[in-house]
Amino acid sequence: MGTEGGGSHEAVFHPSTQEIELWMQKAFDMAKNALDNGEVPVGCLMVYNNNILGRGRNEVNETKNATRHAEMVAIDQVLDWCRHNNKDPADVFRSTVLYVTVEPCIMCAGALRLLNIALVVYGCKNERFGGCGSVLNIPADHLPHTGAPFKCISGYRSEEAVELLKMFYKQENPNAPKSKVRK
Amino acid sequence: MEPECKRRKTGTGALLSWDVVPVLSPEQCQDVELLEAYAAPIFNKRETSRLVKELATVCPLAGLPHIKRVRACPDKLSPHPLEVLICLADHKAHQEVPSLDMLLAGAGPIDSSSLGRPFLVRIAARPPLTRQQFEKASRHWPTSFHEDKQVTVALRGDLFTEERKTRMQTYMELAIQAAVAGQAQGMEAVGAVLVEPDSGSVLTVGHDCRYGPSPLLHAVMVCIDLAAHGQGGGTYKYKDYLACRFVRAVSGVHPTAEEGGHEELPYICTGYDLYVTREPCVMCAMALVHSRIRRVFFGVPTPDGALGSRYKIHTQKDLNHHYEVFRGVMAHECEQLSNRTAGTF
Ligand SMILES: [Zn+2]
Ligand SMILES: [Zn+2]
Repeated sequence: MGTEGGGSHEAVFHPSTQEIELWMQKAFDMAKNALDNGEVPVGCLMVYNNNILGRGRNEVNETKNATRHAEMVAIDQVLDWCRHNNKDPADVFRSTVLYVTVEPCIMCAGALRLLNIALVVYGCKNERFGGCGSVLNIPADHLPHTGAPFKCISGYRSEEAVELLKMFYKQENPNAPKSKVRK
Repeated sequence: MEPECKRRKTGTGALLSWDVVPVLSPEQCQDVELLEAYAAPIFNKRETSRLVKELATVCPLAGLPHIKRVRACPDKLSPHPLEVLICLADHKAHQEVPSLDMLLAGAGPIDSSSLGRPFLVRIAARPPLTRQQFEKASRHWPTSFHEDKQVTVALRGDLFTEERKTRMQTYMELAIQAAVAGQAQGMEAVGAVLVEPDSGSVLTVGHDCRYGPSPLLHAVMVCIDLAAHGQGGGTYKYKDYLACRFVRAVSGVHPTAEEGGHEELPYICTGYDLYVTREPCVMCAMALVHSRIRRVFFGVPTPDGALGSRYKIHTQKDLNHHYEVFRGVMAHECEQLSNRTAGTF
């Protein structure tokens, strides 16, 4: 299982600018696709050894479960991949990068930390629920019993990500109060 | 450990040996912050209302609407029964208190002939939120207090009757049983129960499943997902975990029932109570915000816990939903559960 980080706990990933551009382009494509289908325009993917192991989109409505954010859905796909390929999820997540158009919320940040994810690259801030710096800073806080701290790279194509969210909430209901935002 | 646990459970008529303690916001818990200010005695009592009016214009106490401008002199033998706040002080320990003329210089037109020599006092920087804060602040200078009666009663430990506590105990016992069943299947010994408080119906019972379908299936996440199953949704399967079950659907209007596009928001736990044997982690605590839980009762705290220990997600500013949290329900039994597990939350 040779990975860039050699599988060590301290593996810190430094994806190149080209890599970030490539994967974030895919995440934005997903977000736009979601918008075209009337879904929350957030795209996210889990990349492990240059392979996409998970692609998430918000499944809150179909599951009737308010916790089914894009990140949680993508996490489950990685777990499925681990089962089918007989890999230890702990090892895989330690070498996995999440690319997501919007800052993960506090819940998802907690989940990612519990799984010891290596790195999160995100687009715009999530002022309402953000768990990677906006409302709380889960990846950096002292939480010795909650997985391992992880690194974040933020602000990638941030305005574009905000614009997508704005378009969604405009088409959803022009009179909708802000509290309806559930990402 | 086991036999004692059983004995406690059977003693239904016995006094409940645990207390329900509210987990309040940091603002409600914090010590009273004091500011230094100058006050002066009023020689002529009949001048009081004029002085208050003029001082309000020339020396407004900005941002301190809770502070009363005038107080009765604490020294009952004083010839001047009333004292008035002049202004906030920028006072250093070695300094002498400035004269009245110095304090009012350039402040604006005011007849200060009936004011005495200024002296230093301390006043509360923020309005008191609890009776305890109010009493502490009032020892220095009078302040107004909009009492939240429920918080006062809760802090006294009188919010719940013995009957209500007995009911809480039955829910927590269910959670403990689920925790034990989960542990027998190799999971962490953590259990949770979702309750509809008006009817008292148990909706879902869940235990930790982190070594099963997903490492993120903590007991709270299981209960939320089971509630979604009850509404025709849900994500995971629990057929291998018989103690994790959807008990009943709540009839009547539910917030998710509203049909039509994006308006159909599954705030699946709106109005419900959750009982969980130990304090939830940050992921679970935020999942309960997203699900719009009403109240959470837990047994024992956890080191990284997000409802009082490490964070107070339920009172976190900026979040669009807040809920009430109480700890201590069957604390002893829940503590014993925690001791049975070596793992963390
Ligand atoms: Zn999230
Ligand atoms: Zn948890």
